[in-house]
Amino acid sequence: MDRSEKIGLGVAVVGHVLLFGALSLGFLGAPELPKKIEQQPIDVSLVPDVALEATAPQSVETPAESVAPDEGAPEDAAPPAPEEAEPEPKPDPVPPAPQPKPAPPKPVPKPQPAPEPKPQPKPKPAPPKPVAKTAPVPKPVVKPQPKAEKAPPAKAAPAKSAPTKAAAKPSATPAKASSSASSAKPAKPSSTKGSGSTAEAKTSRPHGSRLGDNFLKGLSADPSPSKSEAPKAAKLGAQAAANIGSAILRQVQPCANRQVTPGPGAERIRVTINLKLNRDGTLKSRPTISGHAGVDDDNRRYVDRVDDLAIATFVGCSPLRGLPDDLYDVQNGWSNFSLRYKLPG
Amino acid sequence: MNPVLTMDSATLSPIHLFLQADWVVKGVMIGLLLASIWTWALIVAFWRRIGKTRKGMTRFERDFWKAEDIDVFYKAEGENDLPSARVFAAGVTEWRRSTAGGTIDKSGTRERLATTMGAAVAGEIDKLSDRLNVLATVGSVAPFVGLFGTVWGIMRSFTSIAAAQNTSLAVVAPGIAEALFATAIGLFAAIPAVIAYNRFSHGINRIEASLNRFADGFHTTLSRQLDGSR
Repeated sequence: MDRSEKIGLGVAVVGHVLLFGALSLGFLGAPELPKKIEQQPIDVSLVPDVALEATAPQSVETPAESVAPDEGAPEDAAPPAPEEAEPEPKPDPVPPAPQPKPAPPKPVPKPQPAPEPKPQPKPKPAPPKPVAKTAPVPKPVVKPQPKAEKAPPAKAAPAKSAPTKAAAKPSATPAKASSSASSAKPAKPSSTKGSGSTAEAKTSRPHGSRLGDNFLKGLSADPSPSKSEAPKAAKLGAQAAANIGSAILRQVQPCANRQVTPGPGAERIRVTINLKLNRDGTLKSRPTISGHAGVDDDNRRYVDRVDDLAIATFVGCSPLRGLPDDLYDVQNGWSNFSLRYKLPG
Repeated sequence: MNPVLTMDSATLSPIHLFLQADWVVKGVMIGLLLASIWTWALIVAFWRRIGKTRKGMTRFERDFWKAEDIDVFYKAEGENDLPSARVFAAGVTEWRRSTAGGTIDKSGTRERLATTMGAAVAGEIDKLSDRLNVLATVGSVAPFVGLFGTVWGIMRSFTSIAAAQNTSLAVVAPGIAEALFATAIGLFAAIPAVIAYNRFSHGINRIEASLNRFADGFHTTLSRQLDGSR
């Protein structure tokens, strides 16, 4: 390193130190920035249940029959299964003693069914069958035993309804055949024949005439339900909830405009208010505040006041009109509705 | 490492930017700063050396062509440090050696003279252009080094975004500013280096050309002397 390089090094070091010193002192600093950039809050309303579920149930249409209804002997169409034909007699003895024995079912779990024949038969769900009336007589004592293990739990409720149903219903069809086929033949002799006619039951086979699959395609014996009928919504969808929320806010706007803002920054507080409404739009109870948002150091002390003002706003304009009646008591409906509210301004 | 860096106008000063930076970026910044200092030292040194050399050569050649007697001139200027003086001294030395004996091989002497002076020119140019390659290196590499620091710093500030779960400008800005500061220093070092390299290589080429011209002229003079002497 010769002399000129030493001089150059000295000059360069001094120059850099001077330059960075000047920069550090702000000589060439950034242009003046505003001390604090005012950040305007943006209201973002979060819809909690987006795409929760379909707002309308799917309408199901009965498919057309591919097998023509049987015009033959009514017995053939809906044969009771051979296995079921025998058990039927068992329930018969039950009907007379359903009410008196709600308690007995508990002791039942015991393995020995023999001593107590009466209590056990009740549990059986079968009683509603019409056969009960016609053939109560058959072995009441003997058969119940097998049932005892089957259905020990107390079936008080079904047991009670059982006798009435049995009386009302003449149709004796436990058949597994298609419901339309069974409904086509209300008048069944099988009820009278009851359990005894095992021979006929065994011949059970649908005797429908086999035609091509496209025979009578699109037609069914039953009138198909109209599609134009608007089914009741199962749940309140997000879109509908937003519509109801804005409808409510629109109606309380006059009351909201009358409120006096308690202080600067209070309009940034967003309260979540919960309304319990009657079907006619009146408040079932005083609205409650379930949450706050947008609270910061500036407006913390106004929170209580804002709560009061929000409640007063909704109470003041309380009979809410024009809310869709069909969305009142569905799940998430407006019978119990939460929405966000903030003071105007 | 605090991901949320406070931001005010003071943090834009180079010292704060340096202090906030990651250690990799700090290393890049220090290296580039040293490169910049060394670049400027070389710039100043070359400037002085080339200017002095060119001025001295102009004066030397003027004096040379005015001189009546080469031997007298050699006594006066033979010890000079100028490149042209060295070439002159090399030529005179070779001339004296070649003509010292009884018989003179004219063509051999001419060849030797040319070779000697050519070698002297090349040596002087080498000496002059020493460290010019440093300028070339700094000029081409410093931007990339700065860019490396920037990329690293931006990666780091993205990491702090992820850590803070916050994309607001206040989180990102300091990290990006300090990262870009690395590129700024890289350019700060590279731009003068590139300009100086081009300028000084041009100056050295001119010195080389004028040295060659002087050597050729001196060779011509000696060659004529060789013919006239016999």
